[in-house]
Amino acid sequence: MIPPLYIALRFLNHRKRAFVLSLCGVVLGVAFFICIQAQTQGFADHFIESTVGSSGALVVNSRVQFRGNNLPVGPSGSFSSASYSERRFLEGISNAPEIMRVARQFPDVVSSSKVLRGRLSARAGFESATVDLFGIDPQLHFQTTDLGRQLIAGSAADFRSNPNSVIVGSRLAESLQLQTGSVIQLLAPGGEYRRFPIVAIARSGVGAVDGVRIYSHTRVAQTLLNKPYAASMILFKLRDPERAPALGRQFAALFEHEAESWQEREEGNLQLFLTLRMSAAITVALVILLAGFGIFNVLTMSVLSKVKEIAILRSMGYRRGDISSIFLWQGAMIAAAGAALGCTLGALLTWGVSLIPIQVRGLLYADHFLVAWDWRHYLWATLLALIAVFIASYVPARRAAGMQPVATLRGSSA
Amino acid sequence: MTTEVWLRCHDVERYLGEDESRVHALRGVSLELAAGTVHAVVGPSGCGKSTLLYVLGLLDRPDAGWMEIDGSPIAQLHDDELAQKRNEALGFIFQFHFLMEDFTAQENVMIPMRRLGRLSEHEMLDRAASLLDGVGLGAKLKRASRHLSGGEQQRVAIARALANDPRVILADEPTGNLDTENSHRAFELLQKIVQERNKALLLVTHNPLIAELCDWVHTMEDGRIVGTHSRMANSSSAIV
Repeated sequence: MIPPLYIALRFLNHRKRAFVLSLCGVVLGVAFFICIQAQTQGFADHFIESTVGSSGALVVNSRVQFRGNNLPVGPSGSFSSASYSERRFLEGISNAPEIMRVARQFPDVVSSSKVLRGRLSARAGFESATVDLFGIDPQLHFQTTDLGRQLIAGSAADFRSNPNSVIVGSRLAESLQLQTGSVIQLLAPGGEYRRFPIVAIARSGVGAVDGVRIYSHTRVAQTLLNKPYAASMILFKLRDPERAPALGRQFAALFEHEAESWQEREEGNLQLFLTLRMSAAITVALVILLAGFGIFNVLTMSVLSKVKEIAILRSMGYRRGDISSIFLWQGAMIAAAGAALGCTLGALLTWGVSLIPIQVRGLLYADHFLVAWDWRHYLWATLLALIAVFIASYVPARRAAGMQPVATLRGSSA
Repeated sequence: MTTEVWLRCHDVERYLGEDESRVHALRGVSLELAAGTVHAVVGPSGCGKSTLLYVLGLLDRPDAGWMEIDGSPIAQLHDDELAQKRNEALGFIFQFHFLMEDFTAQENVMIPMRRLGRLSEHEMLDRAASLLDGVGLGAKLKRASRHLSGGEQQRVAIARALANDPRVILADEPTGNLDTENSHRAFELLQKIVQERNKALLLVTHNPLIAELCDWVHTMEDGRIVGTHSRMANSSSAIV
């Protein structure tokens, strides 16, 4: 064992109470950081998973027509945003099968589903609502989205086998007091309501989806919405949803249709989650900073109480670097033990919090605290603790190294 | 036959303090510590005895003059090199023992050895035990130094000063905090070590009885050595 580490251990052993107090500060700071990050990211991840699972990672919408035949693709194949502003949108996608066929050549694309989307009035009993109708090809849509897994009542098979049946969002079903087997009336172009049996109820977990969405077969939607085309949007499932913006730009240029990634679609909500995470991280980082102040005080007091020992060590041939190392090692041991214990406590807290029951029925649907198990939270918490403790140890360590042994020895001479 | 000189200084000057409080603490001090000799520095308080000890012990740098330890000049040495020299060639004994209170007697003796890093943990333990046995503390190796008596603590300090087998031992009032009996025992021990192991000892003392027993007695006044007396030659000479 190197001499400064040996002496640091002995000094720490001598000041156990101060050491334990410093350690507690770091442990709590690290644990809170991990637990709060796990919660905020847990809710964000659940939201992302739900929205990508129900509305696709990437959506190709209306056709874009560029004025003056300004091609949006540059000579190198890049998309030009300058010409993008001079565009006009044409409703509907007339060549959906062709776009889907070409898109499948992209390695990032797992599957795609064309959707005919539109708003119309719905009625059930004495209740009525405006709904968001998704006319889908069941097989493609179940492949591309998580709709199959989102069914909380009824079955996908019944929907596939009955072309006139519908799937209703869970919150919409609640507000209209519907269940599987009951009938919902949807307003047809002629002004008359047509009756459709509900074969399943879906819950995506996203309030904005579950509160308005109804799934029908494409042909039914085409009739109800009175559209000449069979698709107004194409949803894409991607291997890596993070690649959606880049792929969206390529699709927009290639297909001359508006392409929107889930990041763009949910920008507002993602900003909200990011702000919450940042705010929580700053708050908890302050706890770690306070722990750093505690360590600064403990080590400063340690330096002051060890003036005699520092003079002894210097007179025995210990270098300035050795002296500063003794106090840096003390800080390092507090940081290492604090980070290890803090990570363990953080994991336990996170697990405990995940068991707490809550009823979230707004932006998200959850029955308990949602947490994310992400190793990066532990890494960041450990790094923060190490940095805070290093800064807190550095000043006392420098002070100790700068002490003149002669001043102490002279003060003790007769 | 020429006697080896372990420490030599010539015309050493040292100023302490700044501006109006500036004091000329050492004024052209010259000294030679030969192997196997015991030197006492005596003089009134504030005459520069301790300052001389710290300068010779490389804890303080002289403002002028020239020094060498074991034949190597030290003027150009960097702070870390001075520390290395202190660790290898010098042993310190202080009036108030200056032991690490929470360390055992054995651990205290091992402190300089740890820095030197030439021995394994087992070898260090053995050497510390042997040194403590030599000063009569073989039975108290594992006792925390704060639980030892004043005389015992001073003997631990002596053993610690010998830990790295230094050429020169510098002692600042090594018997100043001990009763008469313990003072003489500690001094006799030091004298024996110097003679048996061919070391040089310089001690600062106010105790005339101890000073009389030294081979050389240097009297200081106002930062100067105003007289040097040799017990062996029974003669005196002024160096100023």
